Amino acid sequence: MIEVDRLEKTYGFARALKGISFSVRKGEVVGFLGPNGAGKSTTMKILTGYLLPTGGRASVDGLDVVDRSLEVRRRIGYLPESTPLYGEMRVDDYLSFCAEIRGVPRGRRRKAIERAVELCGLARVTGKNIVELSKGYRQRVGLAQAIVHEPPVLILDEPTSGLDPNQIVEVRKLIERLGAEHTVVLSTHYLQEVEKSCSRVIIVHQGEIVADGTRDQLIASRPAGGLRARVRGPEAAVLAQCAELLPGCPVTVVHRSEQAVDYRLDVGDGAAPVEEALSRLVVKNGWALLELNRERPSLEDVFRSLTLGSEQEVARA
Amino acid sequence: MRESCVIFRRELKSYFFSPIAYVFGVLFLGVLLFGAAMGSLVDGTSASMQAFFGWLPVVLLGFVPALTMRSWAEERKMGTIELLMTFPVRVSSLVTGKFLAAVVYLGFVLVLTLGLPLTLGAYGRLDWPPVIGAYVASLLFAGSFVAVGMFFSSLTRDQIIAMLISLVVLAVLFAIGVPVLVALLVDWMPAWGVDLITGISPYKYFQSIARGALDTRDIVYFACFCGFFLYCNALVLHYRRHKG
Repeated sequence: MIEVDRLEKTYGFARALKGISFSVRKGEVVGFLGPNGAGKSTTMKILTGYLLPTGGRASVDGLDVVDRSLEVRRRIGYLPESTPLYGEMRVDDYLSFCAEIRGVPRGRRRKAIERAVELCGLARVTGKNIVELSKGYRQRVGLAQAIVHEPPVLILDEPTSGLDPNQIVEVRKLIERLGAEHTVVLSTHYLQEVEKSCSRVIIVHQGEIVADGTRDQLIASRPAGGLRARVRGPEAAVLAQCAELLPGCPVTVVHRSEQAVDYRLDVGDGAAPVEEALSRLVVKNGWALLELNRERPSLEDVFRSLTLGSEQEVARA
Repeated sequence: MRESCVIFRRELKSYFFSPIAYVFGVLFLGVLLFGAAMGSLVDGTSASMQAFFGWLPVVLLGFVPALTMRSWAEERKMGTIELLMTFPVRVSSLVTGKFLAAVVYLGFVLVLTLGLPLTLGAYGRLDWPPVIGAYVASLLFAGSFVAVGMFFSSLTRDQIIAMLISLVVLAVLFAIGVPVLVALLVDWMPAWGVDLITGISPYKYFQSIARGALDTRDIVYFACFCGFFLYCNALVLHYRRHKG
């Protein structure tokens, strides 16, 4: 549905996008993740035709976003960052305007608006002026505006920023519902949002894609980090034998209780069969192994490890 | 065309739904009619349409920049420009829609002043054809100012800057069409140079139509003048897609 090929964007001297490539299949809900200024919004603005790329190509539904911009825009529903709206307009007038300008034929317009109002839960406020609405409702008006012409592709730039936790849950549910009918690309700061509503995650950092895959793929791609073991046995002996048998895995004591001691083994890249060696060691010494598990990195760990390291480098430089 | 229409209707509605339009309309009419009345008094003649149409361009010079300063600057500041520019609509449609809405709004305000000639006509003899000609001239003149004001509004996101720049530019365009001021130029440059400069001024053509002769050349001039600034306006919006 969306193909992006070595897309570049330069603002003056700043390279906002350094040739990113990805594709989104029909029906996918893709989360764009990245620190501020990573290039998320720039990518979305190019896809929607608001900005022209400096290099590379992008296409939506097989249509080039530069050469056939009008046709592309007809296929996209876009919620820009910070949800700009015409405050002095009534909600129903505004939606009617958006439907009309996007070419929804007169006969179908009322139906289309009703659908958008219903999906976004706006029935109670259709007669109100947009300025009178709370932030949460405004966000929903922004979403309704984006779906009113039933576009195959939805591009949502930070749909939940600035909302309170309840509103976030509501908008997130709405996006999940929309994801059933539309191809959705959304950008966000909230990792839970991606975990909950996206089938795929693209992590952008400093104008480049640093990760692209499902949540589980991304997590699996990271080294496991640590191994937790609860062992009943003399602590000093356990520490000594571990250090001798597994020199590559520094052991630390995490927690002591009356029955057992919790240890953490730093397994590094996670390649060595540490579990096996450890269980043999326990059996050989006649201790008891009460618990053994790998620390599962969260998406947050993945995100931080991908985007934090180089930021520190930048800070140092 | 259809898209221009949609934009036009939204814009026109926003004029009539915002308090700005009413404040603007009332002040505009107040200043206009008060000035025309004072002009008649100074002339010592009875109230005439001549004083009215002599004063109208000056009032337009002061008020049009205040009306047009919002047109793009506000959209950029509020971010709604991003909506407009991502609708499946050509930039030219956006520009013409906005332009026509402002012109029609000014036309509406001008229609409200018809009370003056109607009253004069009721109490004395009024020669209608030149009055109608002068109204047409005023609308065209107002349109040319709107085109300039909108163009400068597209250059900045600050409304005050937009207003000040268009005010100064319009004042200069106005001045180079005022015969008394043009006379000062005659010593400084050859006659063709003077002609060239006054030829740019919308005020010159306003006078020519308001005098009573509706010449197609004058209409063509206004069409070209507006077309030029609207085209530049569209170019600015289009070019901004490169810059971001």
